[in-house]
Amino acid sequence: MAQSASVEAGYAMTKKLLGIDDLSIGLPVYADRPRAVSKVSFSLNEGEILCVVGESGSGKSMIANAIMGLLPRELPVLGGKIDLQGIDLLTQTPAQLRSLRGSRMGMVFQEPMAALNPLMRIGDQIAEVFYVHGLPGKPQQIIDLLRAVNLPDPEALIHVYPHMLSGGQRQRVVIAMAIALEPALLIADEPTTALDVTTQAQILNLIREIQRRRNSGVLFITHDFGVVREIADRVIVMKDGELVEHGTVSDVLKRPSHDYTKKLLAAVPKPNTGAPRPRSERTILKASHLRKTFWRGNKEVAALNDINLDLRKGETIGLVGESGSGKSTFARTIVNLIAPDSGEIRFEGTDLHSLSRKQWKPFRKRIQFLFQDPFESLDPRRSVGDIIAAGPMAHGASAAEARAVAKEKLRLVSLDPSALDRWPHEFSGGQRQRIGIARALAMNAELLIADEPVSALDVSVQAQILDLLEGLRDKLGLSMLFITHDMRVAAQICDRIAVMKLGQIVEEAPAREILSNPQHPYTKTLIASVPGLSGESANHRTVEAL
Amino acid sequence: MTESRLHAMPRLIGWRVLKMALMVLAIVVVNFLLIHAAPGDPASAIAGQSGQADAEFMRQLREQFGLDKPLPVQLWIYIERVLTFDLGVSHRLQRPVLTVILERLPATLLLTGSAFLIALSSGIALGVRAARKPGGIADTVIMGVSLFFYATPLFLVGIVLVLVFGVWLNWLPTFGMETVDVPLHGLARVLDVAWHAVLPVVTLAVFYSAVYVRLTRASMLEVSSYPFVKTARAKGATEHRVTWVHVLRNALLPVITLAGIQAGHLIGGSVLVETVFAWPGIGSLAFEALIARDYDLLLGIFLCTSVVVLVFNLLTDLLYLVFDPRVQAL
Amino acid sequence: MKSFVRRFPRMAIGSAIILAVIAMAATAPIFFPFSPWDMRGSPFEPPGSPDFLLGSDALGRDIAAGIAHGAWVSLMIGGISTMASLGIGVSLGALAGYVGGRVDDAVMRFAEFFQTIPSFLLAILLVAIFRPSIFSIIAAIALVSWPPVARVVRAEFLSLRKREFVQAAEVLGVSHMRVVWQTLLPNALPPVIVLGSLMVANAVLTESALSFLGLGDANWMSWGFLVGSGRSVIRIGWWISVLPGVAIFITVLGLNLLGEGLQTWLNPRLSKRDMP
Repeated sequence: MAQSASVEAGYAMTKKLLGIDDLSIGLPVYADRPRAVSKVSFSLNEGEILCVVGESGSGKSMIANAIMGLLPRELPVLGGKIDLQGIDLLTQTPAQLRSLRGSRMGMVFQEPMAALNPLMRIGDQIAEVFYVHGLPGKPQQIIDLLRAVNLPDPEALIHVYPHMLSGGQRQRVVIAMAIALEPALLIADEPTTALDVTTQAQILNLIREIQRRRNSGVLFITHDFGVVREIADRVIVMKDGELVEHGTVSDVLKRPSHDYTKKLLAAVPKPNTGAPRPRSERTILKASHLRKTFWRGNKEVAALNDINLDLRKGETIGLVGESGSGKSTFARTIVNLIAPDSGEIRFEGTDLHSLSRKQWKPFRKRIQFLFQDPFESLDPRRSVGDIIAAGPMAHGASAAEARAVAKEKLRLVSLDPSALDRWPHEFSGGQRQRIGIARALAMNAELLIADEPVSALDVSVQAQILDLLEGLRDKLGLSMLFITHDMRVAAQICDRIAVMKLGQIVEEAPAREILSNPQHPYTKTLIASVPGLSGESANHRTVEAL
Repeated sequence: MTESRLHAMPRLIGWRVLKMALMVLAIVVVNFLLIHAAPGDPASAIAGQSGQADAEFMRQLREQFGLDKPLPVQLWIYIERVLTFDLGVSHRLQRPVLTVILERLPATLLLTGSAFLIALSSGIALGVRAARKPGGIADTVIMGVSLFFYATPLFLVGIVLVLVFGVWLNWLPTFGMETVDVPLHGLARVLDVAWHAVLPVVTLAVFYSAVYVRLTRASMLEVSSYPFVKTARAKGATEHRVTWVHVLRNALLPVITLAGIQAGHLIGGSVLVETVFAWPGIGSLAFEALIARDYDLLLGIFLCTSVVVLVFNLLTDLLYLVFDPRVQAL
Repeated sequence: MKSFVRRFPRMAIGSAIILAVIAMAATAPIFFPFSPWDMRGSPFEPPGSPDFLLGSDALGRDIAAGIAHGAWVSLMIGGISTMASLGIGVSLGALAGYVGGRVDDAVMRFAEFFQTIPSFLLAILLVAIFRPSIFSIIAAIALVSWPPVARVVRAEFLSLRKREFVQAAEVLGVSHMRVVWQTLLPNALPPVIVLGSLMVANAVLTESALSFLGLGDANWMSWGFLVGSGRSVIRIGWWISVLPGVAIFITVLGLNLLGEGLQTWLNPRLSKRDMP
């Protein structure tokens, strides 16, 4: 533990930047608990990255907003102290706080697509940081900033409007604005959550690079332990507004003391290490030369560019790719929500693409779909019973029969049958996803197409749903096409993994082979980008930096 | 990238003008259908059922419309006539419809134009003020007053203003566009017209101001919740700057859209206002035509005001194009 | 009930006003058991005079009777024309939003045409050419006021079709008709209800404006007619125009409050562009 010791010594030498003492933030009366944040204390030193980890509703973002003085009116600070370089932030006047924002503390937000004013040129938006603090903000300074966040062609970029940039590029612009006046404190509120994994890796590198170059303190808020492993020096873990664990990254990740932290860490998906399941000889779904092009404005985009896939009976293939890779289009093409331009999709030998709506109908029972967003995929105006019964009834079951089926399927997904007469909004995200699974299985489907079924869920719920799916698959002999952007999830549940990029499957192999020995350069990049999977540890870096 | 937008402009405008031409054609067809759908012989519909039209006039009309020919041919004759700016003759005034309309058009444009500008500027200003603190005193008062005017029929506002400022207080003229008994020239005439315009313009403006207040407020509140507003605050921008530079510019987009759509409504409103104040524009002309059952004139007015509205729509579309960098096509 | 009033005060006031107007219309034959066109005394009696509660007009007709009987006409025309334009708008909007493609293009161009032209002038033309009658007035109002409904329903359908629960119905093999009736329409309804109440307000205003211009049905006493008839004698009897005008104002106000209340209650995502 020599490393750890040197890290501790390093802290002693650095100056304290931010001190949070007994901070409490209230919630509106109708909330499920009285406080968003309850008596939280921690500190952040110069040149340090502190990660605040927690699931949704843990209050982690509230702390960031409280420091910036950007809490909405309904969430008042009830008590405590926030000290930034000797300034008590909670006693500052609005004008004083304003002059600190941007100059002493900068913030990067979760939604890069919406974080820039759509009507203002990039250059003007960055210049505004200088302008509002009474500084000139020369064009050269702005160009230098854009260069500092590794954006290409900064001279041209300053004249461009946000909608012309990708999410990752926009996030770089936001970072450029946050660091323009070299603030001592940089707050990053889930800055990579909305980004693709390869972009995420780049943005994490950028934040680390800037932090090192300027020796600033970074408060990094995230829900992802992989990201924590990548970037953090120290970690605090939040649950229901309370700080439950606090320590160096290696301590928290390797020797978590609080049960909740242990549970969270255990829930992080891990590659399946059990014996590989035998592959059946029988093909259930075969896609060949599948093509689909969309028109985006007057540009042609190939969503599917000659897709070939062979899914065997009882097998789970993970389809992994970033946004825009065409993986969702492929999933929807299989169930005829999108018609392909050409190619074949054979289900047990029948070409589904050539069928009429009527001929399709019997296959609706056998092929089912699991949707991504549990808050979107259930009709808010129908009861849970009606939602699950809709399938059997569409295929001729009587109301009573369908209801009996619904009851049985609720048990199958470990929900109480009393859920039948309740409404979707009465359930949590994980429970809703269970209802979605019950609906998909109500007609005893053989093939399940699951489109990112766990990506909208918190990590602990995600683990439960993955377990459920795995159990059902084995129990019912389901074949599954599992679409995900998360290599870790795919590695846990899938027998084989197919990697998609720009409408093509660039590599397909058994899961553990892909992970241990990726062949295609893109697969290599993708795997290297997965946060927490690479060998490099944050502590190691910090030692180097010191 | 910005340059490509500039290059695309002529093409976009070309498309928009083409679309406008098709709309005009559609209106001509609607007019034709109206004439033919009317009970009785189209000629008698045109001449009005008032019985004033003599046999000679009816014969002329039948010839003019080619009523003995098949319907498509009649349509073609009609379109040809309209495209050569022949909108027929007003049987009441015994003058070409187009001439009469063009004579009256400036008065209506003056009335609707000033009312529109006043409504838009006051509506936006009050809407921004109301959105500053939702539920505050200013918001409650502004929204209350705007709901009041939003629910009041235009002609009632006009009549009450006539009663209060014309009849009881006798402060402002309530009839016509200028003093007729003493001919005025130059600046004196301009002031005289402006003086006459006060009540009609206010009448027309209050309703639309109420519309824009409500829209601006709602739009401001919605945009205020967008993430980029928080970004601006995180930069250290003042509330004043956040409101006027970030929120307002984005909040105005739907206001521009609505302003384009409202153009047609304004013309409709001017029929009522001009009738109440005897303002010598298209609106009161329409009322006179209505009373005299002068349908050719009424159809001409419908066509001409539609064209004015379409031109105005084209302008707001172009404004939108300049305003919103994201718009690639119209 | 009490908490409902406190939570949705606008809706409570709006509903109270509309119920009062309906009551007035329903009891008109009881309190004024004669035709509102009857000349029942001396002309230009001011409000509060012994024979006339709200005064008499230039021909000695009872203003109070006119307002009470006129309430029926306003509500009936407002209600029926709104039903008709909701019918046109919902069908066309659903068709455009569900079928999409060229059908959608065609329907939307058609709606755009009706939304762009000066609709009040078109209504005037229609009523004038087909001769003023209750039927032509209702038809004209319905014909010029459906486009916002079509736009709203189409937009709802388009956004609903992209939503996962609608795709789920499709994947389950549910028929087109069931998808439209059980899934799409119920979810598209809230904005239509809000729009509907605001459209009744607009229809009441349009009807009164038409009769103000002399385009009312001569068999039916209406508020707009009363306002119009008093306009030329405003110096002698202000009440002839103003009091029926106030009746229109109160009704329209009530409908607007009801609409706004429904808006906050049902909270649909109604775009501003489509507000009438």
